[in-house]
Amino acid sequence: MKLKQLMTLSVVAAVLGAGSAHAEVMAEKGKEANLVLMPKFIGILVFDQAHDGAREAHEELANPGTLEFIGPTPENSVAGQIEIVTTATTQGQDGIMISNNSGDQIAPAARAAREKGLAVVTWDSQIPSAEGEQVFVAQVDFDQTGVVMADMALSILGEAGGDFAILSATPDAANQNSWIAAMKTALEEDKYSALNLVDVVYGDDQSEKSYNQALALIDKYPNMKLIMAPTSVGIVAAAKALQDEDLCGQIKVSGLGLPAEMVSYTMNGCAPEFALWSFVDLGYLTYYVTYLIATGQIEGVEGETFSAGRMGSYTIHKDPTREQGLRVLMGPFSVYDKDNVEAAAR
Amino acid sequence: MNLPAGREPESESRPAPAPEPAPMQASRTSAAARLTSALGARLRSWEGFLAALLLCIIVMNALTSPSFLSVENQINLFALSIEKVIVVLIMTFVILNAEIDLSVASMMGLSACALGWLVQHGVPMPAALVACLLIGMLGGAFNGFWITVVRLPSLVVTLAMLIGFRGLARVLVEDRSIKAFPEWFEALGQQPLVGPFPLSLILFFALLVLAVIVLRYSGFGRQVYVIGINLEVARYSGIDVARVKMLLFTTSGFLSALAGVLFAARLGTVRGDMGLGFELDIITIVLLGGVSIFGGAGSVYGVILSILIVLYLRNGMSLSNITGHLQTGVIGIILILSAMIPNVRGFLARVARPGLFR
Repeated sequence: MKLKQLMTLSVVAAVLGAGSAHAEVMAEKGKEANLVLMPKFIGILVFDQAHDGAREAHEELANPGTLEFIGPTPENSVAGQIEIVTTATTQGQDGIMISNNSGDQIAPAARAAREKGLAVVTWDSQIPSAEGEQVFVAQVDFDQTGVVMADMALSILGEAGGDFAILSATPDAANQNSWIAAMKTALEEDKYSALNLVDVVYGDDQSEKSYNQALALIDKYPNMKLIMAPTSVGIVAAAKALQDEDLCGQIKVSGLGLPAEMVSYTMNGCAPEFALWSFVDLGYLTYYVTYLIATGQIEGVEGETFSAGRMGSYTIHKDPTREQGLRVLMGPFSVYDKDNVEAAAR
Repeated sequence: MNLPAGREPESESRPAPAPEPAPMQASRTSAAARLTSALGARLRSWEGFLAALLLCIIVMNALTSPSFLSVENQINLFALSIEKVIVVLIMTFVILNAEIDLSVASMMGLSACALGWLVQHGVPMPAALVACLLIGMLGGAFNGFWITVVRLPSLVVTLAMLIGFRGLARVLVEDRSIKAFPEWFEALGQQPLVGPFPLSLILFFALLVLAVIVLRYSGFGRQVYVIGINLEVARYSGIDVARVKMLLFTTSGFLSALAGVLFAARLGTVRGDMGLGFELDIITIVLLGGVSIFGGAGSVYGVILSILIVLYLRNGMSLSNITGHLQTGVIGIILILSAMIPNVRGFLARVARPGLFR
C-alpha cells in the first residue's frame, strides 16, 4: 500500500512537473452529505447499474445523509435535468452527480448550484464548457474510445474494409460526440484507410427511434457493412433491426453495449465484438469523488489524489479533451466477443 | 461553538399554539351555514373548484417541503416554466376566439435559434433581438393571412407552421448547439433584475395585468368573446373579424418569439429542439383553466389558477423527489379528471332532467 502511494505520488509529481503534489486523501467515513445522482434519464439499465455502485459506496462510507436517484423522462430530458438541478439547489442538498444530456444548457443551473455550495460532479457525460462543474468522472479515456471503436471495426471488416455508419444517441450528448470525434481522428491513420465512414445519425437513445434510424441506414447505403453504435440503447436496436431484416450475414453491428443485453446478438454473429466499462464502478467512483468534495475532505482541484475504496487511488487532472475542466479517469475498457460475453452477461 | 450550558435548542422551546377564542355558539352556526352555502355556490363555478384544488396543493406542498414557501423556490418555479406561461396568456385569447395556434413552440425554437445564428454571424445583439421579434410578428402575420384572407382553418395552418418553423430552426443550427451570447444577455436571463425578480418574471406579470385589462375591460376583449361565441353574429354586428384575428395571430407570433428570446437568455445556449412539444402543455393549461375549446367561454382568472396549479403541483413533486414518469402520470390524471368533471356534471344534469326518460 505504501509503495503504491509512493508510486502514485511520483507519477503525479512527474505529470505536474512540479513538487506540489498533494498527499493521498483517505476518505473519513460517517460524515453527513445529502447527495443526488442524476442520470440522463430514467429507465436505462446502465444508469441503474451506476446507481447500484453509488449505493454501494454510500453504505460503505456510512454516510448518514441521503442518496437520491432522480432523473427526467426521455421526452423531457433537457428541461427535466435543469429542473432537477434547480430543485436540488432549493432543497439545500450537499452535492449533485450529473450525467449531462443538456449540453451547455445546464451550465447556468449548475453554476447556481455551485454558488449555493453544492458539490457539482459530472459523470458519464460532461458539461462541454465545464462551466458550473468541478470535476468530471470519465469512464475511459475518450481518445482511447475512438481507437477501440476503430480497432473493432477493422477486426470485424478485415483488411478489405468497407463502408460503415455511426448510430449515436442525441446530437448534443457530449460523451458520444467526443468519442465520435476521437474515432474520426483515429481513422486518419493508414492502418484504417480501408474503413469508410459514410454517415452519422442519431437515435436519441430511444429504442424505437434508433431501430428506425438503423433501418433507414440499411436502405440508404446498400454497400454499408457495419453499424457502429457508441450507445447501449443504439447498439441493441441496430442489432435487432439487422436480425429482424435477416441481414446479419451482410451487415454487422458493433460499438458500446451491455453484455447482458448483447449476449444473444454476439452469439448469433450479428454483433461479433463490442466494448464497455463497468457502470457499477463508475457510479461507485463518482460517489467517492462527490462525497469527498461535499464533506470538505478534498477541494476538487488539479493534482489532488484520493483513495476510492475498493477501486484504489485516483488523481484529479486537467481534462485533455476540453479547453477547461478537470477529470478523474476511471478506465479501462473490456472488449467482449463470443468467447467471454456469456460469462460477463451472468 | 458550544451552546451555553443549560440553554435549550430553540426548536424545543417553541410556544404551543394559542387556543381558539371561545365563539358565540348561535351566530357561529348560522354564519357557518351561510359560509357553506356561499362556498357551495363558489365551488359550483369552475374557478371555485380550481381555487380549492390550488389551496389543497399549496397546503400539501407547504407541509411536505420546508423550502416550498421560500422566495427563492417561488421565483424558481416560475422561472423554470416562464416561456410556457407567457404564451399561455395569448393562447387564452386565441382559444376564446375559437381558433388555435399550434405553431407557438416551434416559433419559440425558431426565434431562439435565429438569435444564436445571427449573433454567431457577427450581428450586434440589439439588432439580432429586434430581428427575432420581427420574425415572430411576421410568422404570426403569415398564419393570420392564411386564416383570415384565405379562410383556412387555424388548426391546419398552424399545424403546417409547427412543422415549418421547427424545420427552419433546425436548418439554422443543425445538430449542434450555439453558445455565443454576450455576458449581459445571459445575466438578464439568469440573474434577478429588481429585488429577487428576473426580467422574465417582471415581463410575465406586466403581460398578465395587460391581459386581464384587455380581456375584461376593453372593447377589443368583448369582440374576442363575441367572435368566439358566434362568428356570424359578430360579423353582422359590425365587428371587423379579420382585423381581430389578424391581430391575435400576430401577437401570438410576437409573444412566442419573445418567449424564445427569454428562453435563450435563461439557458445561454440554443439548439434546434428548444421548446419541442411545449404547445401541448400550453394548450392544456388554457383548457384546464376552463376555457372552452369551442371558444367564447372561459375567464382569464381560471387560466391564472390553472397556471398556478400546474406549476405548484410539478414543483411540489420535485421537492418531494418524485421522479419523472410519476410526475407526468399525476399531472395527467389531474388533467383527465378536470376535463371530465364539468362534462360529467352536464351529462348528469341532462339525465336528471325531469321527463327525459318518461
